[in-house]
Amino acid sequence: MKKIVLLFAFLLFEGTSFPDVKVVATTTVIYDLVKQVGGEKVTVDYLCRGDQDPHFLEVLPSYMLKIRKADIMFEIGLGLELWAPQLIDGSRNSNLKLIDLSSGINKKDVPAGKIDASQGDIHPYGNPHYWLDPNNAKIMAKEILDALADADADNFNYYNSNYEKFISRLDEKIKQWESLMSKVKGKPVIFFHASWVYFADHFGIKIGGYVEPKPGIPPTPSHNAEVINLIKKNNIKFIVMENFYSDNAPRQIASATNVKIIKVAVAPFGMEKINNYIDMMDYIINKFSENI
Amino acid sequence: MNSIRVFIIISLITFSQLINGQSNVNPNISAIGTFNINTNFTKGSDQFGKLNFETPDLELFVDGYLNPYSRAAMNIAFEEGKFNAEEIYAEVLRGLPLDLQIKAGKYLAGFGKINTVHPHAWPFLNRPLFHQVYFGEEGFNDIGFDVSFILPVEAVYSSIDIGIYKGDAIGKTEAPDPESEESIQELRGINPVTVGRFSMFYDLSDYSNLEIGLSGAYGLHAKANLNLPGDSAAATSLKNLYFTYGGLDFKFKYKPDGYTSFTIQGETLLNNRSVIRDNGIGINIEKQASEKITTFGSFIYCDYQFLKQFSIGAMYDFTYGIIGDAPGTNTLSNDDKNTTTGISGFAGFYPVEETLALRVGIQHLFFNYKDGRSRDGATEVMLQMLFSLGPHKAHQF
Repeated sequence: MKKIVLLFAFLLFEGTSFPDVKVVATTTVIYDLVKQVGGEKVTVDYLCRGDQDPHFLEVLPSYMLKIRKADIMFEIGLGLELWAPQLIDGSRNSNLKLIDLSSGINKKDVPAGKIDASQGDIHPYGNPHYWLDPNNAKIMAKEILDALADADADNFNYYNSNYEKFISRLDEKIKQWESLMSKVKGKPVIFFHASWVYFADHFGIKIGGYVEPKPGIPPTPSHNAEVINLIKKNNIKFIVMENFYSDNAPRQIASATNVKIIKVAVAPFGMEKINNYIDMMDYIINKFSENI
Repeated sequence: MNSIRVFIIISLITFSQLINGQSNVNPNISAIGTFNINTNFTKGSDQFGKLNFETPDLELFVDGYLNPYSRAAMNIAFEEGKFNAEEIYAEVLRGLPLDLQIKAGKYLAGFGKINTVHPHAWPFLNRPLFHQVYFGEEGFNDIGFDVSFILPVEAVYSSIDIGIYKGDAIGKTEAPDPESEESIQELRGINPVTVGRFSMFYDLSDYSNLEIGLSGAYGLHAKANLNLPGDSAAATSLKNLYFTYGGLDFKFKYKPDGYTSFTIQGETLLNNRSVIRDNGIGINIEKQASEKITTFGSFIYCDYQFLKQFSIGAMYDFTYGIIGDAPGTNTLSNDDKNTTTGISGFAGFYPVEETLALRVGIQHLFFNYKDGRSRDGATEVMLQMLFSLGPHKAHQF
């Protein structure tokens, strides 16, 4: 009888591989990159949903439970996830390795001199929205590879192979995206929030202005009037905004100018059918190229 | 005077850091200022309809990590023209067996949910009535230590907190001078109280969450010399008077996006305690006896946030005891005859996150005396401006 049970257990578990590393990602962008590199050898969960503003996440005990079980937590850094320390403290996980994926990024919008709240929600170490430049996604994936290999050296070859496949696919897509964006190159675009500097630099778009008067500061009627003048003066075709912001001000501006409003998800699962980083970039690029 | 010196020294240290620019190793420093203007429409009040400009309150928060395992915080408050160490505590956050967390110092005790939240973060403007009756004007803020444990349940976050406290907050509800430590010590000696809370948090969906908590507190609330026979010549008997508080709390929040949310939250406290009561005429004076009373208080409110910058809400409050009574052996937490009911409405405007808030609230209190006495209700209207300078933490559910 004992032999039968052992044989049954062997047959049941033979060929089944259990994930080796448990990861929590602060955003769904990171979640997808970890899945691409870690494959089935990593269990990964995320905190901020794709349709949520990652600047503001309520500290929920259920997030603490996710972090409590994790070996590694990846974050965007640069002050985007100011809520993360409270969650980590609440998780009580003393073995957690926190990895800031911004360490290898060439930071933009790093303020010079004294900063204060009169300038809006300024990030003192640089603009944290770097994942919108696909070259930075490659840097993030490399950081993830290094961290997974460090945590689980036995599976380095597996992770490395996944990483190379992902990079190769991303390189192909970058060529396509650059080609599609060539018609937008050099043209001014109005953005809602100051989160597009990396994207604009990569694809050669001119940032025509922002709907927010200062980063994180709600739109005002006087600033809307300035934006309307800018749009008319520079013949700007569209306003691009993340889908978690209210479109009240952009609609007011659009009604005075006939400018188009493009709402996009800036993270996987932020909209239907956007299930990974490449889907997300495809969607954004298509929206730009269709509306120019 | 000493507290003023302490405050000046802390201020000089912290503001010199602000002036020099905060480095990464400095603690977080933030200040919250509150300015209230109120008026009342209570019949017979000499302040009826007059604007009362309160002295602005200030809370200076300093907090940061002590080392990889622990952090410390302090909150120096300037309220009603006086400086006061509202909170000073340290916490061991990680590295302990069973992932325990330990907190020690002076802080807001974990009885119920709302007590651990600073009043400036409440959507309503007035402290719940039963807090005022059973914990005092400042809530259950006490000196002690607390051990917290997360239950090893995968699906639901559930935690148990058990703490031992000096008990000053309990004494404040019946000591003749609630602000005097001597008065409280004379009332109840040095007898710690035990406080515990069990809470469970559920994600009902991606957009809605529910937390339910059960709290308890037990200890000695007063010592009394009773004249049992009612004989002025007889020796009195020393009697220890104990209390037990039981609490039930819940919070539900629906937040479909970053611009709107709906919260409904409520708490109930059940008070069972021994009290001193007159027991008829004895030989030449009133006989005294101790007896058990059971009273309760509760509140429920809802708050609707719309357009990100605006919120509006309403609250219903009930408690045994008459709000505004002086502490005593028959009043507030020892009162099992009279009750106060409150209804409130409140609205807030938050132009840019929580850096600045303008809030308005109205509260009407109904007083009900068991002996048939009648008293007009009290109506208060309050306008509040609140600012938050410096880093502020993410919202805790």
